[in-house]
Amino acid sequence: MTTEASRSPLVRNLLVALTLVGGAGAAGVYVNAGPERFWANWLVWTLFLLTIGLGSLFLVALERLVGAHWSVPMRRVPERMASLLPLAIPLLLVAFLAVPVLFPWTYPEAAHNPILVAKAPWLNLPFFAVRLAACAVVWSLFYSFYVRGSLRQDDSKDPNFTVRARRLAPPFMVIFFFTVTIVAFDWISGLEPEWYSDMFGVYLFAGTFLSGIAAMILGVFGLKRRGRLPDVQSKHFYNLGTLGLAFTVFYSYIGFAQYMLIWYANLPEEVVWFKHRIEGAWQPVALLLPLLHFLIPFFLLVGGQAKKSPAVLRIAAISILLGHFVDLYWLIFPVLGAEPRLGWPELAMACLFLGLGLLQIRRVMARGADMPVGDPLLVKGLEWQL
Amino acid sequence: MTSGTFAVLGLYSDPQKIVDAANNIRPRKLGRLEAYTPYPVHGLDRAIGLAPSRLGALVMGMGILGTSLALLFEWWTSAVDYPLVTGGKPLFSWQAFVPVMFEVTVLFATFTAGLAMLFVFNKLPFFGHPVLHSEAIKDITRDKLALSIENSGSKFDAEVARQALLENGAESIEVVPVPAWNRPLSLVGLLRTMGAIVAACVVAGVGIYGVQKLLPIVPPLVRMHNQPKLNAFRSSTFFADGRGMRPAVWGTVARGHLPPAFATPEEAGDMIGNPLPLTQQTAERGRKVFSDHCAVCHGAVGDGVALLSRAYGGKPANLLSNELRGRPDGYIYGVMMLGKNAMPSYAPDLDDSDRWSAVHYVRVLQRAQNAKDEDLR
Repeated sequence: MTTEASRSPLVRNLLVALTLVGGAGAAGVYVNAGPERFWANWLVWTLFLLTIGLGSLFLVALERLVGAHWSVPMRRVPERMASLLPLAIPLLLVAFLAVPVLFPWTYPEAAHNPILVAKAPWLNLPFFAVRLAACAVVWSLFYSFYVRGSLRQDDSKDPNFTVRARRLAPPFMVIFFFTVTIVAFDWISGLEPEWYSDMFGVYLFAGTFLSGIAAMILGVFGLKRRGRLPDVQSKHFYNLGTLGLAFTVFYSYIGFAQYMLIWYANLPEEVVWFKHRIEGAWQPVALLLPLLHFLIPFFLLVGGQAKKSPAVLRIAAISILLGHFVDLYWLIFPVLGAEPRLGWPELAMACLFLGLGLLQIRRVMARGADMPVGDPLLVKGLEWQL
Repeated sequence: MTSGTFAVLGLYSDPQKIVDAANNIRPRKLGRLEAYTPYPVHGLDRAIGLAPSRLGALVMGMGILGTSLALLFEWWTSAVDYPLVTGGKPLFSWQAFVPVMFEVTVLFATFTAGLAMLFVFNKLPFFGHPVLHSEAIKDITRDKLALSIENSGSKFDAEVARQALLENGAESIEVVPVPAWNRPLSLVGLLRTMGAIVAACVVAGVGIYGVQKLLPIVPPLVRMHNQPKLNAFRSSTFFADGRGMRPAVWGTVARGHLPPAFATPEEAGDMIGNPLPLTQQTAERGRKVFSDHCAVCHGAVGDGVALLSRAYGGKPANLLSNELRGRPDGYIYGVMMLGKNAMPSYAPDLDDSDRWSAVHYVRVLQRAQNAKDEDLR
């Protein structure tokens, strides 16, 4: 049916055109708007794609860890969404060029700042590069194991892979949390290295996981609308909605806890970070966060019937993904100045990265069967009752 | 027969059959459809026509009520009834209120969920169900599933119900009569319940009292706390005058606390100069003294604008003013010793070198705000 329409070359050509226009625009941004703005955009979008990919990979491993059955028929969706990693990891490696531009601890003045001198054993270029490389290697290995292994299982029907995937899940969790924390500390809070918050790693993880769930919801309904995944039913959506609701609350809890502790203690070096982000011109952006990331998804998803409604789940997922993007923008862009920057440079970079991301998703959505047909747990997942 | 029948039970062994039977019988509206099963059967709730629970909406409503009440309460206590500045924050600090609002929301929601489930939707207290007195209950609690058509008024006919169940594959049928006892809240029952509660209280009370009186229970880790010692601001029988805190020996003065030889700050300005040399060390020490004792009113840079002055509307002196820049060191020292206007004496809090260091630091602040070109070189 519409499966053929979705593979139409027109959409693909439009996306390629969008990417090319964005690419040309991005070159213009570098020349005309300056490298700071170029790299800030690059960082926001790279982290956006990276966190969706990491969140999806985390969902895949989480299912293995807890031995869930309900999500097995839908697992191909987060596995495919995790394929944003092969796109985002090279983008993040390129972003290493942004470090001397955007990160104050690389500036010559840092040698005279006692706080930065004290942090130098962590914040120095060689060690930064080592951490980046280690994260990239670890992610690639796990991606290759979980996603490519699952694809191979389609043909081999080897039940041992399911066992091995479960055994690897606990170490994956530990290593995954380390890498997400490193991303949060290195790439986001490192932009203002005098600031300090223990919780920031968990904060980024909450957003990562939540955007993984949102991407999964959108992917599942995208496939269902094209007549694929006919065996995935409202009982399966219900659990997706529950997970989304729970981690909407988790994200808000972590986000607020971080804000409240810093607000209460009112220490100058910590509170100034929030002062730049919730006062003045940044206030409307800050207010978007609780709206998109908490109020809309929470009240949409809190009802029992709502979690079975594709329309409600889709709106909630879009709200969460938008909120996640606004979150990254709000975390990173204030280093450029007291005014939120939103103009043609942002539009051009958005075209480039959206085009790249959508092309990648489109490509991998055709890869392998729509359900993990080689997984012995698939039958249980289909028979599973709410 | 109709009036004396509570329900007609049809027994099944196969969960799918009971779901099908319920789906067939439900549209005929023979009576209220109910099912008794030893384990949950998927789809049976819809088959017997159970509406979605309204518990969720109730929990939501009560949760929002909890949030609102907590906010109202916190606003009233902190900003209206007993306004008290805490940590220099505004009286109405929503950030500080959120944890309590969250907890009260959860409290209201969970209590509503538990209590409404038991007492509203499950109709407790309910001391016995007629089906518990049927023959079939032994099978129902083991491996049989019962579909029950229950007497719901005039349209109910036990014979029709029996036929309907038989037609839909029931393995056996039992007609459950309305039991003779139908007064769960009798006077005797209430008195027995209350008697049991009173008896339980008496037993628990006597037991706890007895254990505490008779058994040597050593309180953990308070022995150091209970040793004989002097407590600040407490009386003591150890000294003849009954005071716990000792006054200084007559005729002695603590180091750095010589009583001033001047009566006004102006006199001090004429009489004494700063005996401490201005060094990096004394200036650093002055900064510590200043930020501990002075900055709270005079402001971190000494301009007289600070958290406390803003909160209470006081007007502490601007230490950077031309008048104070023209005063001698001894004058500033004198104000610290004697106090001025609303400012109390800081003589007991600071020793002599602290005061003179603070004077140096005030000079540093004044210089910093009026820097000349050569200061930058």
